[in-house]
Amino acid sequence: MTSNKLSFGLAALLCVSFPALAEIDLSGSWAAINHEDSLERGGGPNPVDWAGLPFNEAGRAKALSFSQSIISMPERICWFQTQWHIAAGPFSLRMWAVPDPITGKVQAWVVGAWETRAPMTIYMDGRPHPGKNAPHDQTGFTTGVWNGNELIATTTHIKTGYIRRNGAASSDQATITTHFLRHGDLLTVALFMDDPVYLTEPYILTRSYNLSTNPVAIGGPPCIVGDEGVESGRVPHYLPGKNPFVDEMTKLYGIPEEAALGGAETMYPEFREKIKDKFKLPAKCVKNCANAGGN
Amino acid sequence: MKSKLFVLVVAGLSMLGVRAYAHHSFASTYLEDQKMTIEADVLQFLYRNPHSFLQLQTKDAKGNAITWAVEWGAGAQLGSKGVQRDTLRPGDHVIVIGSPGRNPEDHRLRMIDIKRPSDGWSWKGTFD
Repeated sequence: MTSNKLSFGLAALLCVSFPALAEIDLSGSWAAINHEDSLERGGGPNPVDWAGLPFNEAGRAKALSFSQSIISMPERICWFQTQWHIAAGPFSLRMWAVPDPITGKVQAWVVGAWETRAPMTIYMDGRPHPGKNAPHDQTGFTTGVWNGNELIATTTHIKTGYIRRNGAASSDQATITTHFLRHGDLLTVALFMDDPVYLTEPYILTRSYNLSTNPVAIGGPPCIVGDEGVESGRVPHYLPGKNPFVDEMTKLYGIPEEAALGGAETMYPEFREKIKDKFKLPAKCVKNCANAGGN
Repeated sequence: MKSKLFVLVVAGLSMLGVRAYAHHSFASTYLEDQKMTIEADVLQFLYRNPHSFLQLQTKDAKGNAITWAVEWGAGAQLGSKGVQRDTLRPGDHVIVIGSPGRNPEDHRLRMIDIKRPSDGWSWKGTFD
């Protein structure tokens, strides 16, 4: 009996000692469950579809100036995305911990890179973010803390990036807060974009992943610059008031322009009441119609 | 139904770790509901990531050369469908059907269908 009690005691101690209290293991390959925002994460959104984005006037003006052809400029083809690409891209995640060589404690968590996104290294050792005049890059600088069993990562010092792949931009002053929540073999990642330059409120996207035994590749095949039809020196853009696709969502789906142009109020259910008299259900849905009879 | 299928395909590709992703939005780049046919000679085949491009040369009404950039799948995507880097060579005469770009200045298409009459080779399909 004494021996059994000792065994139970040791087992209990082991359970509470490893891993450290409140931390959970996030390492592994996490297969994306792209059951939401599939258009955005697949072929890409329609032009001037910014409904649900909390734009301010500057954010809307910048988006309206955007021509998709700008990404085919030779110097922008292999343009890296910010860490927001985790939210808006389709890919799976691979995560691992980097231990401190002396203490063995987790010094950093790493979210592996994709073809057009650098790895996210989440420093867990309490180091401060760089000063406000430190250089920015597409990777940014990320630190993390545990809140119970939730890892909260804060990314600053990024460069301008995209929020939605149709011209909605984030600025270099933006902060991305990424919440990693594991529930058994399910991982939920919630990303908050706070941008004082282009947004009036945080923009939030969530994603879900299943733990997988199929290893997720770290990085992707290299991006190679090539002629995509935009000659060197030309900068595709639309001047103010000249974006030809402002009424695209109205033509396709009967969605009023004021909804398509975004703004914080378009994020909330009450907005549907405001535009209900302006919404005209098309006689036939012709694009991305799910079960509505189109394609 | 096609949308549901699209979701399943995207989900499946993601789980397999296949890198099939446009660096830009197709819907914002191309007039997806329109088709355009070009009969021309191949100038260059860029078998690459994030997407391959087939460059074709035609002439306008005044006889000036125009280079068309036809966007196609990533190298791995095309390879899995039998299209290799040497499948198309400069000088091949081809007939291409594609969705035209929204910006006419770009002279670009998104590939839908390609045929090479000289030997009957063809490809038809879609890609992300």
